[in-house]
Amino acid sequence: MSTEAPALRKCNGADCDNDAGTLQCPTCLKLGMTGSFFCSQDCFKRNWSTHKAVHKPKSGFLSSFFPPKVVSEPDLDTGLYNPFPTYPFSGSLRPAYPLSERRAVPKSIPHPDYWQDGVPKSERTRKGRMQIEILNKEQQEGMRKVCRLGREVLDIAAAAAVPGVTTDYIDEIVHKACLERDSYPSPLNYGNFPKSVCTSPNEVICHGIPDQRALVDGDILNIDVTLYHGGFHGDLNETYYIGDKAKADPDAVRVVEAARECLAEAIKSVKPGGLFREYGNIIEKHAKTKNCSVIKTYCGHGINSLFHCSPNIPHYAKNKAVGAAKPGMCFTIEPMIALGTYRDKTWPDDWTSVTQDGKRTAQFEHTLLVTEEGVEILTARLPNSAGGPVAMPAVETNGKANGVTNSEKSS
Amino acid sequence: MEFGEDDAPPILVNVDGAGNEDEDSKHLKVPITIVTGYLGAGKTTLMNYILNEQHGKKIAVILNEFGDSADIEKTLTVNTGGEQVQEWLEVGNGCICCSVKDQGVNAIESLMDKKGAFDYILLETTGLADPGNLAPLFWVDEGLGSTIYLDGIVTLVDAKNILKSLDDPAQDAIPTEGHDYDSHVGPLMTTAHLQISHADIIVLNKSDLVSAEELEAVRERIESINGLAKLQVTQQGQVPNLQEFLLDLHAYDSVDALEISKKGHSHLDPTISTISISTPIITVDQLPDLDSWLQSILWESKLPLPHASSSGDYANFAHEIHRLKAWIPLVNGEAKIVQGVRDVFEILDAPSNVSTEGRLEGKMVLVGKGLSSTKFEESLLTTIGPN
Repeated sequence: MSTEAPALRKCNGADCDNDAGTLQCPTCLKLGMTGSFFCSQDCFKRNWSTHKAVHKPKSGFLSSFFPPKVVSEPDLDTGLYNPFPTYPFSGSLRPAYPLSERRAVPKSIPHPDYWQDGVPKSERTRKGRMQIEILNKEQQEGMRKVCRLGREVLDIAAAAAVPGVTTDYIDEIVHKACLERDSYPSPLNYGNFPKSVCTSPNEVICHGIPDQRALVDGDILNIDVTLYHGGFHGDLNETYYIGDKAKADPDAVRVVEAARECLAEAIKSVKPGGLFREYGNIIEKHAKTKNCSVIKTYCGHGINSLFHCSPNIPHYAKNKAVGAAKPGMCFTIEPMIALGTYRDKTWPDDWTSVTQDGKRTAQFEHTLLVTEEGVEILTARLPNSAGGPVAMPAVETNGKANGVTNSEKSS
Repeated sequence: MEFGEDDAPPILVNVDGAGNEDEDSKHLKVPITIVTGYLGAGKTTLMNYILNEQHGKKIAVILNEFGDSADIEKTLTVNTGGEQVQEWLEVGNGCICCSVKDQGVNAIESLMDKKGAFDYILLETTGLADPGNLAPLFWVDEGLGSTIYLDGIVTLVDAKNILKSLDDPAQDAIPTEGHDYDSHVGPLMTTAHLQISHADIIVLNKSDLVSAEELEAVRERIESINGLAKLQVTQQGQVPNLQEFLLDLHAYDSVDALEISKKGHSHLDPTISTISISTPIITVDQLPDLDSWLQSILWESKLPLPHASSSGDYANFAHEIHRLKAWIPLVNGEAKIVQGVRDVFEILDAPSNVSTEGRLEGKMVLVGKGLSSTKFEESLLTTIGPN
């Protein structure tokens, strides 16, 4: 970081005439705003209540009318801008704002408890955090239903994911498809997430916010759909090749197929008595054979009338996860697999998780029901589902992993 | 995102001199010690003593209000060579949902990223905290590559009042939520019990306020509850050999000789006791059996039945285990160690620098409620079978 000459810098404090040294507001720095110098912590503290307003470039409805102080100039033709112009992005992807308005859900559709204030209160109870619920036949049927609807919505979204469309458009499609199925799109306002689906292209690991960026031939895109219907959540995601270029890119195919296979391998060991700590060993072992790494920060989760609950399912090896699968439990497995480092960082939007080296990642997820015999993949692919495995493209120069793709169906 | 706005200002950062962080320093792991004890046991005095003592270490003290890391105080005090600085922890609003790592752990890691690593971190809990809820959060999976590791739990005990605390339900206010165990059956379990049973080090403070006989009675009672912990008698929270007694405990990554005190076998306390069982030298093939036995007793609170005939004897045998350590020698000359707190456990390779010679059998020590060494030993031997 280059150091500016410290000459004549004034403290930002409203009531302060002091010269400022080198102390800066950390939140401003994180947001890529420079120049927030203060003479002392005390002065900063006094001015905090007014100063902190600068940190809200896109909060509230006003921001759609007044662009925040420090942003890139909106593109004159499109009106799009990057809200974090000085943030050190790890890859080539940039957010494309403004986000569209929050989409409405008719009151007639049952809402989860967080729809208004963003706080999933029911998940924070001891029941959500400690105990693993065993679903009865009726509840299992509820899970079956919402998961099937979720599959339909994901397939519709996937069919629309082609070069040239924006992720916001995919959000619109998902949102409408949920409403048509009398379902609330679970991500909407969960922890204040602004959209109805997570769209995570290329180096985005997960939790990408649908925005105005148009998909490009050669992208890979994860679409993570969750529906709330009949009192239950159904959660699934897949990574799709955008255009033919992606399918011809050996690295893209390697990471996407590795992630698909990791999930399939892990599901094979889901059965009564199977240990939650074991899936991570299986996933990491398989990822290594494809020369890929496993993202460690995010894990699978219990799911039922709560979006996220016990158990936690780590995807990395050597974890101490407590417990074993029992008939009637529902949880997800959703490995995120990377071409490069497993280390992640989060954009200043507090959601978008990307790899620290900017290399691409892929993810697949199913909601699973443990049965007496083994496992039922509630979100299984249908015969006509979009996407699906792709064979490794023929590579001239490197003789690596040519055509090893295991075309096993994940159902 | 906008909703994550803290009400309090963060600490300003000095931009000059930033950015020359040593990559290698990230691989150094910083020990975190959890300090518990009733209000008045002398925690604050001990903390001040540690912060003010000239030890040449950079020690961070974090206050934890409610015994749940979600409520971790946003400020911590760092002592560097006698100088104290307040720092702010950035505790994200984070999606608990799918993030494996605890928020408190993340906050400490990110502070160290910015300000450089500490030498030690002490997490001071409130008087009513159940350390068994906190320990698993800071016992971070090896696979996560965290920059901190749980060094151990230190419990301060007020020699004058502890016996009353252990026997008097009125003293106790365990919030029912967040505490795993129902205490409505069987003998009384107080927070004092939990704080002692999970401890790796017990500092018996205010010893100057009791007679020698009283002190001995307290010592016996504590040792009967937790025979595994090391006991340190002190006055006014002063621990002369800080490093020796409170720091570098390695209570979660190594296992010593597991010499439990002589008093350990007595049942002076009606609620919690320590048991020690002998284990045979086993083969590598028997490790999965040991593993499933541990799963049964720790996850299901079920003691596998030695044989059908004795089922009546075992049926009503409810136990709960707070702490478990074991040394398991293998036929091939290597050895495994087992570490457990509540339902979380791990089987690890024993450090190679510890000699196995002269150890003809393994040993397992358990601290908890409803434990019987004969039954546990019989159950374990039956489960792992002869080698």
